[in-house]
Amino acid sequence: MYFDTTVDPHRTSTGLNNRKMLMWAFLGSDVLFFGTLIATHLVYRGQSLVGHQEDIFSIPITSISTFVLLMSSLAMVLALSGIQRGNLQTMRLWIAVTAIFGAIFVGFQMFEFHEFVQEGLTPRTNLFGSTFFTMTGFHGAHVTIGVIWLWSLFFASFKWKAGTETALHVEIAGLYWHFVDIVWVVIFGIVYLVGAYGAEDRLLPPVSALGG
Amino acid sequence: MATEHIEAHEESHPGPRQYVIIGIILVVITGIEVGLFYIEANAALIVWLLILSSLAKFLIVVGFFMHLKFDDRRFALLFFFPLLIMVSLVVVLMALFSTLTR
Repeated sequence: MYFDTTVDPHRTSTGLNNRKMLMWAFLGSDVLFFGTLIATHLVYRGQSLVGHQEDIFSIPITSISTFVLLMSSLAMVLALSGIQRGNLQTMRLWIAVTAIFGAIFVGFQMFEFHEFVQEGLTPRTNLFGSTFFTMTGFHGAHVTIGVIWLWSLFFASFKWKAGTETALHVEIAGLYWHFVDIVWVVIFGIVYLVGAYGAEDRLLPPVSALGG
Repeated sequence: MATEHIEAHEESHPGPRQYVIIGIILVVITGIEVGLFYIEANAALIVWLLILSSLAKFLIVVGFFMHLKFDDRRFALLFFFPLLIMVSLVVVLMALFSTLTR
């Protein structure tokens, strides 16, 4: 038994599922939204006259949170694979794992924000702070919405029967979740790693990591 | 006939085992990225390698985890057209503000 979500259970003029198409259109618009935030951050890179900039990043800690988010994407696709094969138990397990990993990622982000504020970098400090907190804050909000969505699917699934329609519920949530993951892939690569590569003291751990 | 179609489609989609392998590949690329960060080498080369590795991860997630590689091409169009505009916007703005050469 395999529930194929590429075959639309309802007849539409395009032959494609309307909800799935709506999600892809939304993701296309969200690409532009995050694109402007990332572009603004990159344009103002190195322009701040006061306060911390990329030297404040803790790459080891952010690498761990990136790993957690990547693993959540893997768990999400395993949840979809589970329900497509008619196994609701497997789907629930992996949905819960995805949501927990998502919550851990948000926890890492809150920890990072707290450390930055402790070291004197706030959205008001300089251009770097304004663009960094806006960009990563919106990403964190997306992850938080995703975690709420996943838990709602988890609890709703106790009333479900495995089928194409319920598999679509999971696939659409999965598209959103993977999008949140790829946005972070770009932010981690371009903003964190490329941005911090030029920092003179990048090989030293940040003050906060030493408990200072 | 419908059953044959579904079975054929199931075979074209990756299974749990393939997903785990893809997940491992993503972790390995991330590890390489972090490793590159700590290497003292030509800065331009490292930056390009970091951009390319991010692009590779991006395409793997979009292609396999979001199933764009297997799904209808119109979904890909809905996603990649805004992406093209976004990338153009970033490059033009960075060129305009001379960030590319800083």
